[in-house]
Amino acid sequence: MDIREQIAENERLIEQLNRELAKKSIEVRIIQQLSSEINSTLDLARILQLILDSMDRVLGFQHCMILLKDESEEKLRVFASRGYDQEGVGAEVRFGEGVIGVVAKRKKMLRLGNIRSSMNYLMAVRAKMEEAGQLQSAYAPVNLPGLPNAHSQLAIPLLVKDRFIGVLAVESPKPNAFDELDEILLNILANQVAIAIDNARMYQMEEGRRKELDEANTKLVQLNESLEQMVKERTAQLERAHAELSTAFERLGEQATELAAFNRTLEQRVAEQLAELERVSRLKRFFSPQLAQLIVAGGTEDPLKTHRREVTVVFLDLRGFTAFAETSEPEEVMGVLGEYHAQMGKLILTHEGTLERFTGDGMMIFFNDPVPVPNPAERAIRMAVEMRERVAELVAKWKKRGYDLRLGVGIAQGYATIGAIGFEGRWDYGAIGTVTNLAARLCGEAKPDQILISQRLLGMVEELVEAEPVGDLSLKGFLKPVSTFNVIRLRG
Amino acid sequence: MISEKLVEFIHGPVFMALGTRNEKLRPAHTFVVGAIVNQDRETLTCFVSQSRAEKIMGNLEDNGKIALTVGSPSHESYQLKGHYVSLRPTDAKDVAIQEIYRTKLVALMLQYGYPEQIVKPMILGAKYQPAVAITFRVEEIFLQTPGPEAGKKIA
Amino acid sequence: MGVLPDEIKPAMEGVIPSHVVTCSLDGTPNTTVISQVYYVDADHVALSFQFFNKTIKNVRENPHAVAWVTNPESLETWDLELEYDHSETSGPVFDAMDMRIEAIASMTGMTGIFKLKAADIYRVKSAAKNTDERIPLAAIDK
Repeated sequence: MDIREQIAENERLIEQLNRELAKKSIEVRIIQQLSSEINSTLDLARILQLILDSMDRVLGFQHCMILLKDESEEKLRVFASRGYDQEGVGAEVRFGEGVIGVVAKRKKMLRLGNIRSSMNYLMAVRAKMEEAGQLQSAYAPVNLPGLPNAHSQLAIPLLVKDRFIGVLAVESPKPNAFDELDEILLNILANQVAIAIDNARMYQMEEGRRKELDEANTKLVQLNESLEQMVKERTAQLERAHAELSTAFERLGEQATELAAFNRTLEQRVAEQLAELERVSRLKRFFSPQLAQLIVAGGTEDPLKTHRREVTVVFLDLRGFTAFAETSEPEEVMGVLGEYHAQMGKLILTHEGTLERFTGDGMMIFFNDPVPVPNPAERAIRMAVEMRERVAELVAKWKKRGYDLRLGVGIAQGYATIGAIGFEGRWDYGAIGTVTNLAARLCGEAKPDQILISQRLLGMVEELVEAEPVGDLSLKGFLKPVSTFNVIRLRG
Repeated sequence: MISEKLVEFIHGPVFMALGTRNEKLRPAHTFVVGAIVNQDRETLTCFVSQSRAEKIMGNLEDNGKIALTVGSPSHESYQLKGHYVSLRPTDAKDVAIQEIYRTKLVALMLQYGYPEQIVKPMILGAKYQPAVAITFRVEEIFLQTPGPEAGKKIA
Repeated sequence: MGVLPDEIKPAMEGVIPSHVVTCSLDGTPNTTVISQVYYVDADHVALSFQFFNKTIKNVRENPHAVAWVTNPESLETWDLELEYDHSETSGPVFDAMDMRIEAIASMTGMTGIFKLKAADIYRVKSAAKNTDERIPLAAIDK
């Protein structure tokens, strides 16, 4: 080699060395500069542009781009570029397509300096294969972002703790434009870039999350307020309900008290009523139900209280009953008695007489007690007459059966002592006096179908009856004989 | 042996390299700047720089086996295998052929879009003189174009 | 040992095609043009193969090979004496080479068709720069 050649050679060598040196010293500057620039902003777009600008200005990478991985799919998108006519931001590269795609797929750096010649070679091979019919499809050029005639490309994966986030790529139309030094440089850059992007993204995410949080917080506050409101209303509701309930309880308490009181009075009333009923039922033995009620209701003085009154007393019985009773079957006797009592009883009620007693076929009835009546003697007479008629009907029936029974009645008027007669557990309502004796004696003296009355009584009812004298009768218990008359019929 | 088409090809803008080997079967390489197919179409004369030729002299004389690759920037290429015949220094005619060859090759390479800063220094910067003309008989011709038929013997 | 200097690395980028000469056991040389001789380390290079060919066959019989590479910046050429060592179908060297091929294949619609079959690893016995084979640029008729 001659001197000229030597010099040229040396020049070249020196140039090369200078280049290397320059790059090395720039290295440090870049990192410092970029670091401070990158870390002073968390705006991702700004960061990316800053990086690419620095790469051009400082390192001479005139054509460069940053692609970031799509969230879900295996593809990248250009996020920033520098040195291209069309910015190409947003252009997509699928994993495995071209240098960038293969770098993304394998997560390893790739440097190619012979892209065009390699492609020529491969296209030639392809043509031959197509000729030979070995290829299924015709060539369809893949549309990749970047220089259309790139001869050199250096792409490096952006990794954050082994997590692949994108690719940093530089290009040149010159062959073998990048060397190992560029690889090292880009490696350093890529680390910085990856971290910066990750930080910016996290910041964005944080921002996003903070916004979300703020929104959520606002919503929470709103929710809280409305909740408080609801609670207030609910509390008010509850208080109202409580108040109502308290009132209701009070009311209930009152009612309970009332009820208790009512219960007590009820018991009292029941007791009273029971006593009343008892008295009624007791009195009903003697008096007609109406009379009994009347007495119990207090419409008249307590009849059991001993008192004197002028009453008309009626005694009656059946002539021939004793003999009949002795000679007849018990069932027959009771049957007769039953019929007899039923009819007599009806009449007593109708004429509002008081049945004092009955002993078998005999009965004692009086008028004007316990309830005073304006015409006791008249009532007694009417009743006796009606009784006679009724018994006559019965007698007709009895005769057919072979019974020989006939009514006899005695009536007297006078004062008697009336009240409760008897002893504890067996009080009876009874009348005692001459008048009762007289009525009884007269009844005893009465012949079948006779209604015997004293002259005194006759005097009281003269216009009412037609009577015949039966003589002066000597009656037991009476000093003088009693002038007696038989009531034949009622006048009119 | 060598077809019309191949003759034209060899005479055109093509890259050429000559392979030989020594007695120990160690191969040797030399690049070739220009070649012509002789009229007999059996022998071929290629022009090799003198320094290179000196290196492979021994091989030629020991066994004389040669393998010449001829390839176009289009990737069409052939390999011609044969036997060394003779050697002589190049004359003016050869130089003329060489210079035409160099020019055509540069032109074609540029046409193919290869960068000038590489093409010119690479082709025009390759020392081609002083050179020797090495003649050899072609015994076998293989297709060397990359693809499914590469390696196929065609003559 | 470090046979390959750093300055040869640009020649290993496949910018300018390289030549490889091998020799079969029966003594027949084989000259071929390949797109790239890959730099593995200072003592090794790799040749990729996608389709089986004579070169691959030869080196498995006779491991000796030579490669001629050109630095696209200086245009200087290098002669490398190689010895075939072994072939790899996986590992970092294979992956790096495969990645390059995959990238180019994807750009030419050859994904899956043009695939790295194996990486043949060669030991570099010597590397000689051809210093006397250049015509300086200044002298070139532009």
